[in-house]
Amino acid sequence: MPDPNRTFHGGVFHDSIPGGRSGAKIQLRRNEIVAEATCEGEPFFSLPFDDCDLDLGGASGRMVFCRDPEKTLTIFCEERGFMDELRDGSYGVLAPQLDQLTRLRKGETHRFHFWVIASTLLLTAICVGGYFGLMAGAKAAVKAVPISVDERIGGMAMQSLMLEERLDDNHPATVLVRQIVDKLKPHSAIPDMNFRVAVIKSDQVNAFAVPGGQMCVYTGLIKKAKSPEQIAGVIAHEMSHATLRHGLRAAGQSLGIIAAIQVMIGDVGGLVALGSQVAQQSILTSYSRGAETEADLEGARMLHDAKIDPKAMADFFELLKSEMGDIPGIAVWISSHPQHADRVNNIMKFQFGLPETDYQKLELDLKAAQDALQ
Amino acid sequence: MQVDIRDRPSFANMLVQMQPGDRIIAEAGAMASRSASISMSTRWSGGVFRAILKRIFGSESLFVNEFTAESPGHLVLTQPYPGDIVCLELTGNTMFLQPGAFIACEPGVSLGLGWAGIRSFIAREGAFRLKVTGHGRVWFGAYGAIFTKDVVGEYVVDSGHLVAYEPTVGIRVALAGGIFSSFFSGEGIVTRVHGQGKVYLQSRSFGGLVAWTNAHLY
Repeated sequence: MPDPNRTFHGGVFHDSIPGGRSGAKIQLRRNEIVAEATCEGEPFFSLPFDDCDLDLGGASGRMVFCRDPEKTLTIFCEERGFMDELRDGSYGVLAPQLDQLTRLRKGETHRFHFWVIASTLLLTAICVGGYFGLMAGAKAAVKAVPISVDERIGGMAMQSLMLEERLDDNHPATVLVRQIVDKLKPHSAIPDMNFRVAVIKSDQVNAFAVPGGQMCVYTGLIKKAKSPEQIAGVIAHEMSHATLRHGLRAAGQSLGIIAAIQVMIGDVGGLVALGSQVAQQSILTSYSRGAETEADLEGARMLHDAKIDPKAMADFFELLKSEMGDIPGIAVWISSHPQHADRVNNIMKFQFGLPETDYQKLELDLKAAQDALQ
Repeated sequence: MQVDIRDRPSFANMLVQMQPGDRIIAEAGAMASRSASISMSTRWSGGVFRAILKRIFGSESLFVNEFTAESPGHLVLTQPYPGDIVCLELTGNTMFLQPGAFIACEPGVSLGLGWAGIRSFIAREGAFRLKVTGHGRVWFGAYGAIFTKDVVGEYVVDSGHLVAYEPTVGIRVALAGGIFSSFFSGEGIVTRVHGQGKVYLQSRSFGGLVAWTNAHLY
């Protein structure tokens, strides 16, 4: 039994209305749906249940359309409860159509959910696959680029760095570091690389390499070291970044990701600008965890080949961690190298796999260098 | 209150001739000039919370200006980008506007914000839409010319061209063609409008302008 007092708000399409449509107040009567348009003149429309074709749609997907067989009159409503009122008020006349519409809507909703989940999974798979593909691609592509490119990028990077006071070439600390570089150079993966090292006057315990073989070692690191072998460990690690060409690889990966995003979602000019910044940043500051591990192992290999005990590298990690790990802003070198314990383990494990060698102590005067820095 | 839309379609603006007691509500910043006899008061667009929602999701301003004529005068309203403006007369019915399209309305019209759905979001038409309902005239603008289409059944619109639509039409997201043609035709994802009702479309899209500009920057 329809409730004659219940009014729903909806609308009506009919050619007699100016503009062809209007909002409407809708009620269910004994045998029909009636709509009183809210436009000027408030025309009145009725649609018998027996002649009513139902449809479901609209922007929300929940709007019920009631049409006459000629489709000249359409009464529509998306208020909650309208479908139930139609079912009850039409004495079952409209029930089969309503059941079918409900089934169709549920099916469509399920299909939509399926596609959303499937698309999300596919997109995730593409992103993950693309990421690893790019990483591998960049690694391969970097090999084809001549070393001179690394040197040019490194030169620009050094110019852009606001470095503190640099010690002169004859300073005992500079001489010590240069001797270590000379000792390690023949054992590097690219012995022809033009390795140069500058010692920077700063209490920060830090060292870094830019592409092409230029390195900076801070006096804070030299003062902190307990043996020349420990400094050799840090330098071997930094030389490895240069010979493994991590700077160029990181830049290639950053640019590759931006290129991939461009292909996938169209023009992203802003991202390109951002990407070039990211690329520059990645050359200058930090490398990925994978790159750090690679540099550790390559550094350990270099030390081993130079007959320097690779354990010194791990010892230096331990020393910094135990003495200065909690002091922010000083132990920069260790703080920019995450997963400290894992790295010590990795180096020790790697050393186990190396053939036995008689490691020799470096005959270098660390004490003199440290005294000269006081 | 008589409103003429001038300089159509490229640089359309509204010349509102007002008589004493006439009122019009306009988007903040829409006024270009007005007679000194017309007073202006500023208020939150539907309360603080709703105004913030409309700002974030509907690209509308936090505030609306209400202009009231104390003696006869005129007011010129415009929109920030080049394009046409159209007037829509609501008679108790509802219309959805794309974010940023609203310019002005008469006091009998209420302006709300509605969830447009994931489909609309994927079609780059925005996850939210402005809902205008009530009795009175609404003016909204677009980038480029505006044309209408009375949809019966299904109609395909490229993403970024839909400006306004009635709640009786639904939106589906679809590829423009097959996988190959969708990616290489420059059309990509399109909006399939279906059902019965009127849609308002703009002849230019901001996405197209941005892509064109970017392509010439490097």
